Amino acid sequence: MDKTDIIQRDVVIVGAGPAGLATAIEMANRLKQAGEEKRIMVIEKGREVGSHILSGAVIRPKVFESLLSAEEYAGVPFDSKVTTDSVAKLSEEGEMVLPFHPPYMGNEGNYTASLGAICQYLAQIAKQKGVEVYSGFAVDEMLYNEAGCVSGVKLKDTGVDHEGVKQKNYQAGTTVEAKLVILAEGTRGSLTKKVVNRFNLDIGKNPQIYSLGVKEIWKVPEGTIEAGAVYHTFGYPLQDKSEFGGGFIYGLSESRVALGLVVGLDYKDPSFDVHAAMQIWKTHPYVAKFLEGGSILEFGAKTLPEGGWNALPRYYDENLMIVGDSAGFLTTARLKGVHLAVRSGICAGETAVEALLAEDTSKQMLAGYETRVNASSIYTELYPVRNMRAVMQEGMIVGGLKMGVQLVTGGACLLVPPVHADCDETQTTEAYQGVPFAERFKGKLHFDKKRTFDKVTSVFYSKAMHDEVQPVHLRINNKAQFQKENIEAYGLSEASFCPAEVYELHEDKEGVKSLRLHAENCVHCKSCDIKSPLGGITWSVPYGGDGPEYRYM
Amino acid sequence: MTIISLMKQVPLPSEMRMGDDGLMDRTKAKSIINVDCSYALEAGLQMKRENPEARLIVCSMGPPSFEESLRNALAMGYDDAYLLSDRKLGGSDTYATGLAISTMLKHLGFGAGKDEEYIIVAGRQTSDGDTAHVPSQVAENMGIPQATFIETATLTEGKVEAKRIIEGGYQMMRLPTPCALSFTPTGIPPRRASLSGTIKAKASRFTTFSIEDINLSDEKIGLSGSPTIVAKVTNIKSERAPAKMTEHGDVEAFIQSIASGKNTIEAKEAKVKKAKKRPEGFEEVDFRGGASGVLTWAEVANGKITQPSFELLTPAVSLAKSLDAKVITLLIGHEVEGLASALIARGSDEVIVVEDARLQEYLILPFAEIFAEVIAERKPEIALFGASTAGRELAPRVGVKTSSGVTADCTALEIGEYISRKEKRIYAPILESRRPTYGESKLATILGFVCPQISTARAGTFEVPSADESRQGVVSHFTPTLEEKVFASEIIKTVRGEGGLASLDSADIIIAGGRGTTADGMEMIKQLAESLKAQGVKAEWACSRVMVDEGVAEYARQIGQTGKTVRPKIYIAVGLSGAVQHIAGIKESETIIAINHNANETIFANADFGLVGEYEDVLPELIEKVKSGFTFGLEVK
Repeated sequence: MDKTDIIQRDVVIVGAGPAGLATAIEMANRLKQAGEEKRIMVIEKGREVGSHILSGAVIRPKVFESLLSAEEYAGVPFDSKVTTDSVAKLSEEGEMVLPFHPPYMGNEGNYTASLGAICQYLAQIAKQKGVEVYSGFAVDEMLYNEAGCVSGVKLKDTGVDHEGVKQKNYQAGTTVEAKLVILAEGTRGSLTKKVVNRFNLDIGKNPQIYSLGVKEIWKVPEGTIEAGAVYHTFGYPLQDKSEFGGGFIYGLSESRVALGLVVGLDYKDPSFDVHAAMQIWKTHPYVAKFLEGGSILEFGAKTLPEGGWNALPRYYDENLMIVGDSAGFLTTARLKGVHLAVRSGICAGETAVEALLAEDTSKQMLAGYETRVNASSIYTELYPVRNMRAVMQEGMIVGGLKMGVQLVTGGACLLVPPVHADCDETQTTEAYQGVPFAERFKGKLHFDKKRTFDKVTSVFYSKAMHDEVQPVHLRINNKAQFQKENIEAYGLSEASFCPAEVYELHEDKEGVKSLRLHAENCVHCKSCDIKSPLGGITWSVPYGGDGPEYRYM
Repeated sequence: MTIISLMKQVPLPSEMRMGDDGLMDRTKAKSIINVDCSYALEAGLQMKRENPEARLIVCSMGPPSFEESLRNALAMGYDDAYLLSDRKLGGSDTYATGLAISTMLKHLGFGAGKDEEYIIVAGRQTSDGDTAHVPSQVAENMGIPQATFIETATLTEGKVEAKRIIEGGYQMMRLPTPCALSFTPTGIPPRRASLSGTIKAKASRFTTFSIEDINLSDEKIGLSGSPTIVAKVTNIKSERAPAKMTEHGDVEAFIQSIASGKNTIEAKEAKVKKAKKRPEGFEEVDFRGGASGVLTWAEVANGKITQPSFELLTPAVSLAKSLDAKVITLLIGHEVEGLASALIARGSDEVIVVEDARLQEYLILPFAEIFAEVIAERKPEIALFGASTAGRELAPRVGVKTSSGVTADCTALEIGEYISRKEKRIYAPILESRRPTYGESKLATILGFVCPQISTARAGTFEVPSADESRQGVVSHFTPTLEEKVFASEIIKTVRGEGGLASLDSADIIIAGGRGTTADGMEMIKQLAESLKAQGVKAEWACSRVMVDEGVAEYARQIGQTGKTVRPKIYIAVGLSGAVQHIAGIKESETIIAINHNANETIFANADFGLVGEYEDVLPELIEKVKSGFTFGLEVK
């Protein structure tokens, strides 16, 4: 370690998403009230704040009123107030618009928005309050003190080649020592994963499970969709009981449409491909009519933690708190996490200030964060539906019935099936008894590059770029096992589920299969870290500033 | 010692490719440090490592938003940043930009007789301009030696040793300080600023100058200070019939498909060009002031006239014909007089020979001086250079000496007129220089109003005129006055390897490998080229940018945007996806053959023949076929 490149801050927050920025803003507000000054630093891996932010997004605005002053709130760049809101069940041949909303799906008073734009705004507010926000820097190491407790973070070294050899342009990553580290890395945080394992924070909890959302933004002819119009679909191309999920179509200003397909990663088919499913979904007449005459502006993908209340780890430890998606604060029933991310940031921010002022950042002190969460809307939203996602494994019908029971009982339900980690749900090619993806959608997997896209073209629209001279940020944990299991037994399911063609199955003339890794395509959705059979892959941060360059996501 | 880095901020390349419906919107585009400039910044930092006492400063010219990139340079380790920012600078061409930047440097105390030692490092060219002019223009304005297209350089005890990329190889050069170096993006990649560096940079000194601050007068900058203007920008469209496709890597069927010939497009009726109505009552201006003739440069490498220099004679002859003027070619070197007849046979009316033993290898300072002297004496209205590594640095340096602007990398040169409705004037005749711009998606027409009107022509764009040995012409001699100081920089050695740019120009078949051929480091691509050579075909291998980035191939073999344009008889793209930049570099090829495992790749939409199959499977088979006589339809003499 470069002993000379060490800086000290009171608090370092990893990630400038809604949770991290809300934490920073809440802290700054409370410190100001208390007349105290503390140095708060937010570090973001995206080239700019917002570059790596992706959400639907229909946002519940209320929580921003708690975080911001009336004047600040007035400036939040929501896109359009939700005007119409409907849900349709799609079949291969047609659709049926539901005459009612499934519970929790109503969107009255909500806004369609670009979460990236909102985060840029929040970063600006935070900076005005004296928070230091640095984007384009990757944090890839936690630091621990002699007692083994969190004591800061270290940024990634740059100017290192594939083999880890220092190049002439080598720059050591800066060490940031802090009294308190707040992880706000978003879904499946790579540091969060380390601390959860190190401190056994998930003991006695359900494994966290995820969905993968694949999203596009289109520019369409005027009059195609009303700004603020919200449509959700379920059914085709997903199959009840096999895949849990659905589509969304949101009208944005300037004749733009945000649309995407979200699919639970607990499916069994090793060849299931969410990206391809989304392309097929777009060709359904119900969806296609919104894209007529339009063209794609942007592509992106992200995973969502859907385990809910029962999968929340202990989201604090000595000198450490975890907020937002990293902790798993997301309502599956609403498919919304932004308002909970902000709320968790508020709870954490309040706790952090209390701790700093008391000069006590111990686990006992930070337990106040949990107390605040339990007293907040996070509890009232998550606890009653704690079993919802679990019963949905049984399909929308049985699951829907059990969900109805839960609404009456306040969440209690008999016969809740056990939850397994997504990576354990995939079956080997041989064991899988259903119709494989390619057969299921035979004749529909040709993409015309105008309305439907192959993965490489999609990556082009994510504007993802990675410096090629760096250690590969996707690690195969056990090469021999990966070859035997992931490639040979599972047929490299990574090639199917990865929405960015990072993983390619190569077969030579002799039929020998091998993996070709295109790490530079990565859009940072973390699906591989989640879904790779036997936990075959570890995702770590590449150089800061690398990755997608989202603008409207 | 002060290391001065010149830097420009440009739109993110990924934003450049947005919107094929119009010009990119720079106000919304996210920005980065121009890639070549970032290599120069790193080169400066590397020099500092060897010269710890040196001061590092970074200078730029542009809107206040450039502060972001300058701060980034400070974060990388620079000590001070200076930005010349003034709305009056808007519309400046490269000539005015070069002047403005050197005026700022002089204001900072460099040059102009002051003793302080300094060195200028700059990027070779910018991604949004692609001219490579400014470093040369700054060097000429500062009156210092220069070396462009530098890959790596060391600064030891006030002397510079630099590796300069040339066609088909490289040169090692030694330069005194002060001097200016421009860097290609192939040397040491720019470091990432550390977080602590970025924090420090926020508090570093940052100075913004207006043009008054540096005593630069209005008329020397902006539109009024620019000898050239952009008159028109049009979209580029390609016209190629749909490819004949062969699937499943079926090499036999593919060979038959080639034998059966290309698909053809139904010839569209040529649009009748509407004669532009000439406004009445406008004053017709002939701004040439008696200047006449088209001057070209015959570049000599390895004792031979280079192919781009011959290509140049095609537009030169046609321009001279339109102007009823003569083509004069300047031939500089040692024992080169014998080469003059080849120029006359291909269209030169007069060849001016400059013989000097010290000029065996091209050196920018004496060559620029000779051009200035010849131009002063002969007063040509147009001067053309091949856009080789030498031509691209020589033209702008000569331009500064003659107060002319330069249009870089042209693909079309014609005589036309310019109607200024504002001034109610018609400028005619005028040289219309057309060049691709905005990532090759647009074609810009650029006009110059000072004689000679100088342009460089992209290599491979024009055909070499056929030789007519019976053509008559004059061979004359010119003796320049060269002071000793123009020989201040020296060439230590010149290495021209097998292959490289020179042979890409003259190859009949080029086989290019892209990302899809990384696995074996392009071994099979090279073998295919070798087997074609064994059949007596002039074949060469090349690559896309990715392969250069990955270090599989040298920069000289890169085709595309910042690489070069080729027009072989047959171009074979293997494992290439067909990025816009690459297509732009190959679309002049007579026949394009694409081989890719993905039938949906864009490359097939720009090809005449397509073979869908895995590279590893198809190439060995093709190599065998070539060994038994298959040459992709090319007739072997």
